[in-house]
Amino acid sequence: MPEKHYEIASLALRYWFVALIGTIFVKCLLATLKDFKKSDGNEGDAERISALVVFLCLSAFGLLSVQNPEGIEIWVLVLGILASALFLFQFFALKFFFRGIDPYLLLMVDTLSVIGFIMLHRLDSDLAFRQVEWFGLSSIFLSIVLFVTRKLKTGKRFFYPLMGAGLILLLLTLILGEEVGGARSWLTIGEHSIQPSEFVKLIMIIVFAIDFSQAKTLKQRIPVLIFAALAVLLVVLQRDLGAALLYFSLFVFLYYIGTSDWKVTAAAILSGSLGATAAYHIFNHVRVRVAAWRNPWADVEGYGYQIIQSLIAIGSGGLVGSGLGLGKPAVIPAATTDFIFSAVCEEMGVLVGIFIIGFYILILMKGTTTALKAHTPFAALLAMGATISLAIQSFIIIGGVIKFIPLTGITVPFISYGGSSMMVSFGALGIMEGVADQSARAEKEQEGNGSENGEEDEE
Amino acid sequence: MKKIRRNIRTGFFILLGLFLFLLGYFCYGILFYGDRWFANSYNVRVRLNQVEPDIIPGDILDRKGTVLATTAKKTIKGENGEELEYYYRTYHKDARATAHVVGFHNPQYGRLGAEAFHIRYLMGYNNNFLERIYQKAFLPRENGNNIQLTVDLDLQRYISEKLGNRKGSVVLLNPRTGEILAMVSHPSFDPNDMETVGEDNLVNRATQGLYPPGSIFKVITAASALENGDDLKNMVYDCRGTTFIGQAQINCYGKEAHGALDTAHALAVSCNGFFAHLGIRTGWEKLLRTGNLFGFNQDFLFDDIKVVASRLPLSSKVSKEELAWDAVGQGKVLVTPLHMAMVAAAIANRGVMMEPKLIYSVIGRRGQMQKQLEPEVFAIVLSPENAMLLSSMMELVVEKGTGKGARLGDIRLAGKTGTAEVQSTDGQKDQDHSWFIGFGPLDEPSLAIAVIIENGGSGGASAAPLAGDILYKAMQMGY
Repeated sequence: MPEKHYEIASLALRYWFVALIGTIFVKCLLATLKDFKKSDGNEGDAERISALVVFLCLSAFGLLSVQNPEGIEIWVLVLGILASALFLFQFFALKFFFRGIDPYLLLMVDTLSVIGFIMLHRLDSDLAFRQVEWFGLSSIFLSIVLFVTRKLKTGKRFFYPLMGAGLILLLLTLILGEEVGGARSWLTIGEHSIQPSEFVKLIMIIVFAIDFSQAKTLKQRIPVLIFAALAVLLVVLQRDLGAALLYFSLFVFLYYIGTSDWKVTAAAILSGSLGATAAYHIFNHVRVRVAAWRNPWADVEGYGYQIIQSLIAIGSGGLVGSGLGLGKPAVIPAATTDFIFSAVCEEMGVLVGIFIIGFYILILMKGTTTALKAHTPFAALLAMGATISLAIQSFIIIGGVIKFIPLTGITVPFISYGGSSMMVSFGALGIMEGVADQSARAEKEQEGNGSENGEEDEE
Repeated sequence: MKKIRRNIRTGFFILLGLFLFLLGYFCYGILFYGDRWFANSYNVRVRLNQVEPDIIPGDILDRKGTVLATTAKKTIKGENGEELEYYYRTYHKDARATAHVVGFHNPQYGRLGAEAFHIRYLMGYNNNFLERIYQKAFLPRENGNNIQLTVDLDLQRYISEKLGNRKGSVVLLNPRTGEILAMVSHPSFDPNDMETVGEDNLVNRATQGLYPPGSIFKVITAASALENGDDLKNMVYDCRGTTFIGQAQINCYGKEAHGALDTAHALAVSCNGFFAHLGIRTGWEKLLRTGNLFGFNQDFLFDDIKVVASRLPLSSKVSKEELAWDAVGQGKVLVTPLHMAMVAAAIANRGVMMEPKLIYSVIGRRGQMQKQLEPEVFAIVLSPENAMLLSSMMELVVEKGTGKGARLGDIRLAGKTGTAEVQSTDGQKDQDHSWFIGFGPLDEPSLAIAVIIENGGSGGASAAPLAGDILYKAMQMGY
């Protein structure tokens, strides 16, 4: 298709994409609110929403396939169809095998992934292809985690092995790791690089859930406290500030939720703040981050460059964006990973940006509902841990690229390019869905047995 | 389990709160700063491609329709000998007089002025969806829109000539509408020839230059006292030429002893002692409140022009001595010429400060009006009575006081001079900056002005006469 025709098509289709994503969002919002108000009946229009997601994927890749003036690129269409097929298979297979899972949670996450595929293809078509691969692998990982979580009762025997594995992973990264973008957080194995700090997140959720769901004295909790402190310290040494902030928040939230011990929680927050202040004074890169947040305009070519390019991109898109392929998101540094939110805002519009933030809020609400419905403290903490991890991570990075908080490099869950990030985000989803399935089954059993002696369920 | 559920809810609400803040901040940023981010000169998306561009930027006109900036075309030979259309921006032959207002758009040197700030209109990004589709489908190249500015080229030229080689800035406003009739910054440059331009010449002193205001700040000090119900009629002060406030010795200009003064006469002779004591009497809180109302310490988010914030750093930590110096405009107060013109205009407009406007209209491809000047109130800074009172005091300044140099026969003017002491970079005392703000004709003020001449000596000696000449010329031209 000639260049001009593509431009016109892209300009016109902006509205279609915004409307489509908006509709998916509103439908998920209604379902989430219904669920949140505790009226049962999860059966709704989830199948119909899945059709919308397929529309989104196919129409976007259809448009992108004619971007090249020399003719239709069939393989782009194939990629779109492949992504849709993978999504449909994942969605319906999981729904079939695990009846108790929450379909909306899955749909929202898949919508975010599809937005990611579209944007990544726009930025670098090779990455999009690999991301779809990661999506497939992550879906398998998701089923495994789901399956395991469903069976998990207390997980006590994994407690020490998991902590050990986590610390060893982080230590290995610190010693053997490779530096990418200022952070020494990548471990190369053969041809692949993984980011162990991502996987430690999952370990952390499980370890904290195991420990904080049991009634213990503070002395008995010393191992887990040491583990948490060491993990944070190790990622700070890797200069991975985003991960450090995430681990810390995860600890504080889960500790408080599990133990209701506000004294230790307050002490943790206090020491965390002291640590942050100390880091500010000791490490130059921390000071630079803060300066870039306070006034990036003071050094437009230097430390303010990333954030200013991000803001310019967001400002250039307007409400419905410049149209796919018509903006210049490639100018933004790290547009495929940390800054993908700004790239989406530029080409698909600020409205889609708002919907994305909205989706994370809905995931937070869904996750909370799942945790509230859980039948054991351990399951509740697991679900809430996964929810908090996803919520904080998306908050940290979106807040960073819009200059709401200082920028700390971390990926946008489900959207950013990256195998480790995709895997772990889907792993967190697996934990949430596993808990949802577990409690749905328990409920059914109770109904089936007619017994009244289950866990108290009053609010 | 019950406790855990309760805590889960607490955790949820904390996180939800965080996200709502995030969402709110995002919307706030887009709403108030989105266009500014877009118009930023570091935005490579809106650069004019010179060879075979997709979009041809529109023209910039002055208020009478004279073309100040346009896109010209020539044919060049490509690498393979094919003919290519080459586009570039060119400017009016007297562009030196409008250089900072219009700015430039040059792939090599970037963008400045209206060429940068209003790129949205010039490149046609404000066109609606159908218009954009139409242009893409049926025109060989897309067209941007023309913008007509509120400035008058003839006035700009006159002011530029009058300033001559002196460094400084002049801003002329219509106090009732906020229109910027003229805005000149010297030294200037020629946008048609960017190769030899010095860094200093590119600074628009009218909007980006932060100067100590000197005695013109006394207008704010007086306004604060008036607005806070201080009965200034009864304030009489015996000026001995010098006074002590705490550790600070505050001298009047040339250590001249003015004798017994009421407020009007203190303003007329610009008595430092009087206003230092008045500032102390009013107190930092009230002075700061009035200052903030007048627009100090604010990110000016005007629709039409980018202006840096003026500074009035008062707080409970500020010592008595510093407050006294601030009250006479010689402390840590810093202002831009455009802001001072707005202050004069607000007093002229009976206490209503209008937002400064630079866009007269935006004209689309077929000559249709896309946007027209709509005056907007920026703030109500004074009650009408106090504005009149202040206005009559400022009339005395021109009639009998330090501003005599601005007098225009029987046309009644009001004004205030300022002589701002400056330290040069090597710590030596430089020649003072010369300030004048004013407005007229007093029966129905249609013009407000701010003039600063860097190192021009006393306000009465150099800025005031220049302001008088400019006001006279503008009135002759029918403004």
